[in-house]
Amino acid sequence: ERGSNNSFTHEALTLKYKLDNQFELVFVVGFQKILTLTYVDKLIDDVHKEFRDKYRNEFQQKGTLGLLNGTFDFKDDFMRLLRDAEESSKVRAPTVMKTFEQSLKSQKTVKCMIETRGEKPKEKVKNKKNKGSKKEGTEAVAAPGKASAGDKQPSAAGDREELTKDEILQKNREEFFKRHMKAGEKSGKSPKPEAQKEKGKKPRVWDLGNSNAKVLDYSNSATNGSAEACPVEEFDPDTALGDRNREPGRLYDLEYESDDEAEEEKVIQNPSKPSAKKGGLGGMFGMLKGLVGSKSLTREDMDPVLEKMKDHLIAKNVAAEIAVQLCESVAKKLEGKVMGTFTTVTSTVKQALQEALVQILQPQRRVDVLRDVMDAQRHHRPYVVTFCGVNGVGKSTNLAKISFWLIENGFSVLIAACDTFRAGAVEQLRTHTRRLNALHPPESHGGRTMVQLYEKGYGKDAAGIAMEAISYARNQGFDVVLVDTAGRMQDNAPLMTALAKLIAVNAPDLVLFVGEALVGNEAVDQLVKFNKALADHSMAQTPRLIDGIVLTKFDTIDDKVGAAISMTYITSKPIVFVGTGQTYCDLRSLNAKAVVAALMKA
Amino acid sequence: AMAGRLEPHLEALRRELRAPDPAVLSVLLALLAVAVTLLIWRFVQGRRSSRKAVLLLGLCDAGKTLLFARLLTGKYRDTQTSITDSSAVYRVSNDKNANVTLIDLPGHESLRLQFLERFKAAARAIVFVVDSVAFQREVKDVAEFLYQVLVDSTVLKNAPALLIACNKQDVTMAKSAKLIQQQLEKELNTLRVTRSAAPTSLDGSATGGSAQLGKKGKDFDFSQLPMKVEFVECSARGSKGEEGDADFEGLEKWLAKVA
Repeated sequence: ERGSNNSFTHEALTLKYKLDNQFELVFVVGFQKILTLTYVDKLIDDVHKEFRDKYRNEFQQKGTLGLLNGTFDFKDDFMRLLRDAEESSKVRAPTVMKTFEQSLKSQKTVKCMIETRGEKPKEKVKNKKNKGSKKEGTEAVAAPGKASAGDKQPSAAGDREELTKDEILQKNREEFFKRHMKAGEKSGKSPKPEAQKEKGKKPRVWDLGNSNAKVLDYSNSATNGSAEACPVEEFDPDTALGDRNREPGRLYDLEYESDDEAEEEKVIQNPSKPSAKKGGLGGMFGMLKGLVGSKSLTREDMDPVLEKMKDHLIAKNVAAEIAVQLCESVAKKLEGKVMGTFTTVTSTVKQALQEALVQILQPQRRVDVLRDVMDAQRHHRPYVVTFCGVNGVGKSTNLAKISFWLIENGFSVLIAACDTFRAGAVEQLRTHTRRLNALHPPESHGGRTMVQLYEKGYGKDAAGIAMEAISYARNQGFDVVLVDTAGRMQDNAPLMTALAKLIAVNAPDLVLFVGEALVGNEAVDQLVKFNKALADHSMAQTPRLIDGIVLTKFDTIDDKVGAAISMTYITSKPIVFVGTGQTYCDLRSLNAKAVVAALMKA
Repeated sequence: AMAGRLEPHLEALRRELRAPDPAVLSVLLALLAVAVTLLIWRFVQGRRSSRKAVLLLGLCDAGKTLLFARLLTGKYRDTQTSITDSSAVYRVSNDKNANVTLIDLPGHESLRLQFLERFKAAARAIVFVVDSVAFQREVKDVAEFLYQVLVDSTVLKNAPALLIACNKQDVTMAKSAKLIQQQLEKELNTLRVTRSAAPTSLDGSATGGSAQLGKKGKDFDFSQLPMKVEFVECSARGSKGEEGDADFEGLEKWLAKVA
C-alpha cells in the first residue's frame, strides 16, 4: 500500500521496482547505494518492455502453469540491455577545454583587459562633496606636474602588461579631469580650468532647513487643472465597460458551475466520442462497446476519480499527505490493468482503494494482550505496559478502562503513577483504584486486591518511580503493571528525552501511544516525532519504538474515522484498543472492515 | 368423470387464451418469468455449491508456493514471498481422474485475511502448511491464524476437510506431526479463552466470533471440530534437494481422497 515510493534501501543496497499490472509482474533492480546510477529507471523500463513483448504469449495463453513450467531465458537479453544503458549514460564526452587561441580573450588587446583597481577610486572621487573636490583640485595641481612626465611612461609601458600603481592612479586622474573639462586640453593647463571649474559649479545644499521646497521641486510646472497637460487618449467604452447589457447599478452574484454530474460515472468513452458525433444510435452502441470491451486503465482515466477519492478521504479526517500517498499507490497498482466487463473506472478504483485501506489496518504483529500476559505470568514476572501521548488525549481514563478489563479476566494490576507533573494526576488514579476495588472486592478474587496504586507524589523522576514500581510488582506478585506518564508535546525536547529515558531504562513489554480520534494532520507529526525521540535516545541496537496505538474519543466522531488510517500508516503498528466513552466498559477492539466501510461511505 | 371435471377447466383456459385479456395474460407471463428465473438461479447456485478448490494456507515462509509448484510440475523452483494468489487445476493421480483447483494464497499478515475472505466460500478442502523447523518459535502466530480460519462462519458452515501439513521435514531439527498437534491443541485451548475475552468489536460483533471452538469445559481437541482434521508430514524440497522429488505421498493421497 506504500506503492507511491518506488525505491527501498536496506544496508548497502538500494532496490527500485516497477509493476506491470496487466500481467501481474514485478521488476526489481538492485544496486549498491553508493553508486549513483542514472540509467536505472531507463534500464528497468527497457527490461520491462522487452520481457513483456518476448513472453506475451506465454502469459496470455498458459496462465499459471505456463509461469511454473516455462523457462524464461532472459539472461542474454538482460546483459545486452544493461550494456546499452551503461553506454548511453557515458555518451556525452567530457567537454574539451578550448585552447587559448580559440577563445575570444586572445583577440582582445591587452590594454582593455587590464582590470585596474582605479575603478573604485574613480567613483569615490565623483561622489565627493564640495570640499573634497577642492582637495582634488590641489592634488590635481601637483599631479599634472608629474603627469606630463608620467604621460610618456604609460605609453611606453603600454606594450608591457603591467603598470605600476602610481601610474595607474595618474592615468585615472587624467581621465577624470578630461571628463569634467569641456575642452580636451592637456594636463599642463589644468590649474586654470580648475579655477574656472570651481566657479562654474553650483553648490548643492543638503540641509533642508535652509532651503524651501521650491528649490528641490524638480517637477514640471503645474499641470493640475489644465486640460492640455495630459493628452486625451483613445477611450473605447466597450473594452472598458465590458458587458454592454448589464443593468446599471446592480451587483451580480458570483457564478460557479457544478460539474458533479459529469464526473459521476465516468465510463471509458474513447470509442464513443467519435461515434457520438455521428448520431444518437451510433453513440449508444459506442458506449455499450466501451462498457463491455476490455481496455487497460491509463493515468488520465484514473486521475479525476483519484482526485475525488483523495478529497473524500481528506474530508473524512485522513491526514492530507497520507491521502495523497494512498492515491498514488493505488494509481501505481492499477496502471495498465485490464478491466473486466461491466466495470467502470470508478468502481475499480474504489475497490482497489478499499483493499489498500483494509491492508493498512491489518496489524503486522499479533494484537493479543491477554496471551502475552499469560506468558509473562508463567515466567513469574510482571507484564509492563507504558502509556505515552500528548496532553489531554485520555491516557489516565483509558488506563483505568484497561485495568478494569484485565481485572475482569482475572489478572491483578499495579498502576504506577509516573505523571509527577500534572496537578491531580495522582489523585485521579487513586480515585480510579478505589472505584475498581469497589467493583471487584478482594473477597470475590480469593482475598487478593486486584488493583493497587504505586505513587511517590509529585516532582520526582518518572523513570525512577517506574523502576521501583516494577520491582515492587515482581516482589508482590502482580501480573500487570500499567505505567501512566505525563502528557507532553512532541516538540518539547527535554520532555521527550525524559520519556525516551523512561522507556529505555525500564524496557516495558508494550509501549502504547494514546491518540485521540479527533486529531487530523497533527497525528502524523506526533507519531513521527515520538518515534524519532524514542529511537534517538535509546542506547540499544534495536531501539524500542511504539508497539501499538490506543485510539480514544471514538464516540465523538461519527464517521470521520480517518485518524485510524493516518496513525497505522505512519507506524505500521496495530490499533490495540479503541476508547468510546467515559465509563469502564467503553473499551473496544478495532474492526477493520467496519472502519473502512465508514470511510468509503459517501 | 375426471375428464368431465377437467373439460370445463380446459374450456375456460382455451377461452382465456383465445380472447386475450391483457391483465391475465401479463400476470401469466410474469409468473412464467419468475419461475424460469428461479430455476436458473437454483441451477447456478447448485453449480457454485460444488466447491472444487483446495486452499493452501499458512504463515509466511511455510513453503506453500513451493508445495504448489511441486504438486503441479514436480520441479523445484526458487520462490519469493507471494503477494497475490495463484490458482491452477491439479489432476489427481489415481484412477478416478478427478481434478481440483489448487489455490495458493499469500501468507503475509496484512494480506492473508483478505484473500481468505475471497476464496473461503469455494473451498472444498484446506491444507494448512506449517513450518516444522520454526514451529517452536512461531507457535503462537500459527495458532492464531489457525484459530481465525477455524472460527470463520463460512468455514464452520461448509466444514471443508482440513489437513495440517507439517512441512520442511527434510531438515533434521523438524518437529514431528504428533508434537505439533499437541502444541497446537494446547495453544488453541488458551486462545479460545483469550479471544472470547477480548473487548468487543466496534460495531458490536465479538472479535472471536460467536462460535465457540470445540466443547466447553473440556480441553480443546481437534476431534471436537465439525470437519475432518488430519496431520501429515511432508517435505516440499525433498530429501535430495533441488534435483530430486518432493516427499509428500501423504499429501497426495489425501488430495486423492478429497477430490
